[in-house]
Amino acid sequence: MIATDTFVRLCRARDMLREVDDRPLSIDDVAREAAMSPFHFIRQFNALFGDTPHQYRIQTRLDRAKLLLARGDQSVTDVCMDVGFSSLGSFSDLFARRIGMPPSAYQRRARTMVTVPGTVPADLFPGCLTLMGAALAILEKR
Amino acid sequence: MRIKLTSIMVDNQDKGVKFYTEIFGFVKKHDIPVGEYRWITVVSPEGPAEIELALEPNANPIGKTFQEGLFKQGIPAAAFEVDDIQQEHARLHALGVVFTKEPTAQGPVTFAVCSDTCGNLIQLYQSNQR
Repeated sequence: MIATDTFVRLCRARDMLREVDDRPLSIDDVAREAAMSPFHFIRQFNALFGDTPHQYRIQTRLDRAKLLLARGDQSVTDVCMDVGFSSLGSFSDLFARRIGMPPSAYQRRARTMVTVPGTVPADLFPGCLTLMGAALAILEKR
Repeated sequence: MRIKLTSIMVDNQDKGVKFYTEIFGFVKKHDIPVGEYRWITVVSPEGPAEIELALEPNANPIGKTFQEGLFKQGIPAAAFEVDDIQQEHARLHALGVVFTKEPTAQGPVTFAVCSDTCGNLIQLYQSNQR
């Protein structure tokens, strides 16, 4: 069983990893904050959250990139820098691999959706029932 | 009106399917790509086949905030019934599942709480009444 204070420290570490911007934050820094050796920190984080701290941080950057791209007021390059990637090429490749389309295409697609100015289109966040409806329609066609 | 479908948010659908089938032992029923996400449901081989659990993406930032809030406070997002909580606890522990609460008797149930690695704490409970 995980001790309560270890649980709290790992949750707090996850909060730290969620702060993505252009400030560098090493896994060692976060491990130190969590009062664990990097080895133990990575292992325990992975056991609890299903991802290594490094992977979690990358996913956080990509999630934030999606939001910024959907808001539409920043260029792909600006979004890339904003979420802490130093190379536009590696950001675009990673984004395309994980999300299934390049960041520029994602931004274009978001622009076609109905939106309230200043907010992100709700269609980008399909709820349970939206997905179910679309999925069952696909099944019907088969 | 019937309760046929319930859902739980997972922070990654690939990870969700893997954990809920390989670790928890549910069986995939639907897995249909819909745009960027998938409509994924699982059923329990031990329970009624018509009752499905959807593994929802927590794409919406508000969903993430809610899910993380529950997790940090130690509040389970869902509860599943088991026949033998001690056996289940031992089996899952051997598979590397992290428990925040070991099997604890409380009135008519004995329950334990673990992480599903997808952002949720899950309560597993056994009824003490025979």
